[in-house]
Amino acid sequence: MYADISPSEPRVPARDAELNRSDGRVHVGFASTGLATLYQRSPGRVLFPHVERGDIDQAVLLNTAGGLTGGDRWSAELDVADGARALFTTQAAERIYRALDDDARVETRFSVGAGAWAEWLPQETIVFEGARLRRRLEIDLAAEARLLAVESLVFGRLASGERITRGLLHDSWRVRRAGRLVWADTLYLEDDIAAVMARGATFAGARAMASVLLAVPDAERHLDGVREIVGEAGGAGLVSGLLLCRLLDSDPAAMKRRLTALIARLRRDAGGLPARLPRVWNC
Amino acid sequence: MLTAAATIIIITITTTIMTLETHTLLRLQSWLSPAFPTGGYAYSHGLEQAVEAGRVNDLETLIDWIDAVLRFGSGRLDASFLAAAWETCDDEDALRGLAELSAAMRGSAELGLETTAQGAAFLATVQAAWPDTRLARLIADLGTAEVPTTLPIAVGIAAGVHGLDVVATVPAYLQAFAANQVHAAQRLMAIGQTDGQRALARLEPAIHDTAAIAHARRPEDLGSATLMVDLSSLRHETQYTRLFRS
Repeated sequence: MYADISPSEPRVPARDAELNRSDGRVHVGFASTGLATLYQRSPGRVLFPHVERGDIDQAVLLNTAGGLTGGDRWSAELDVADGARALFTTQAAERIYRALDDDARVETRFSVGAGAWAEWLPQETIVFEGARLRRRLEIDLAAEARLLAVESLVFGRLASGERITRGLLHDSWRVRRAGRLVWADTLYLEDDIAAVMARGATFAGARAMASVLLAVPDAERHLDGVREIVGEAGGAGLVSGLLLCRLLDSDPAAMKRRLTALIARLRRDAGGLPARLPRVWNC
Repeated sequence: MLTAAATIIIITITTTIMTLETHTLLRLQSWLSPAFPTGGYAYSHGLEQAVEAGRVNDLETLIDWIDAVLRFGSGRLDASFLAAAWETCDDEDALRGLAELSAAMRGSAELGLETTAQGAAFLATVQAAWPDTRLARLIADLGTAEVPTTLPIAVGIAAGVHGLDVVATVPAYLQAFAANQVHAAQRLMAIGQTDGQRALARLEPAIHDTAAIAHARRPEDLGSATLMVDLSSLRHETQYTRLFRS
């Protein structure tokens, strides 16, 4: 009936650059005496929850925009100085929504000093149909630094069995020890992501993956314990002196249970800390 | 007149191309032959564990596995590293950074060993049989920086220094990788000689497509999606009986 579009009707944007894009930034640093640096730019926020007895300082990163889409930026700079101990996590799962034409960019830079213990335990990142994400995790370790770092990805909406048929995921880890690149990894998926993930040599149909990295001087001591928890749903080994563990699962909830058990075990065995996760993980 | 001039040009071009191709072809046939002593027969790139776990259990699943490794795994990564190393074989600083990244991108210790042990053996043999002072300098520089040379970096710099055509080197490298995987499979499961060649015939499109995009990406944009290869390789470390080192 009304085939003509009236000139006053708002035009649907075709490009991400035409929309307001977020640029959240946080910088948190801990020294052995406690919090030493704090900078936050909206929608980046940092919360410091009350920490249970026997546990270490915690910083909870929060994106008040509630997720990322094309053109959005997020960067976090996290420092744990010589001899300090701190845990960083996120308030909620990070959601990466459909982009029009630009990529969402996430950068996390970690620096861990001599004799320090740092934990990077963000909750999972959920990638939706049409999402375009370029993410980079840069970890700089002093020669004697200790670190437990985890990242997990879930593809598609949990309940509806959504398949991701287009998008981009470029997810990199770069780990340096005493300035030297010791481990690099980049997951790269583009276009018909579901078709690529269906292949036997790629994800074999799994829709959730997690990487766990433990950098401690005697990493091999923890390998048997990790393999016991990982079971058939992943693999673990030493790479350049780091303990690397990968989980792959068709059921994101099952993967999270295994990941939670792994973190608890490594906190206790490698960090000498309570075998429990930050409280935000249980919400 | 015009026709004669055109004919001369065509003859000149044809002669140049033929010379280039023959030089490249001869070196590649030697360097990427299964007889070249890089010890490639000792590595299965996670395939041994994939067969053990039943993920690869016949010709179809084998072809699908190798096709995915070529398109989304080491095939794609190595092709880009090789092409980038070929381009940077005149720039020692850039090459060092590239070689460091290539060596650090290892999904497991065994996959790291597979590529760096072969890279070192490849360069040692090339230098022994086709000595070249420029290549010797590059190898010495990487050695001083304590950067291990992966196989794609090794082949890339050797091909660059020896003036081989990179457009031919990349697919030849990928074909050698695919053939090595097929040979490994033939030792692990009931795949006959003719089926092995059928697999290689059907892997040609993946080699072709992967080689075609090798130059399109900057090294920092490289990545892979073969999680199951990484997992298989990690699990291979604890496999009870093993023929292969990866």
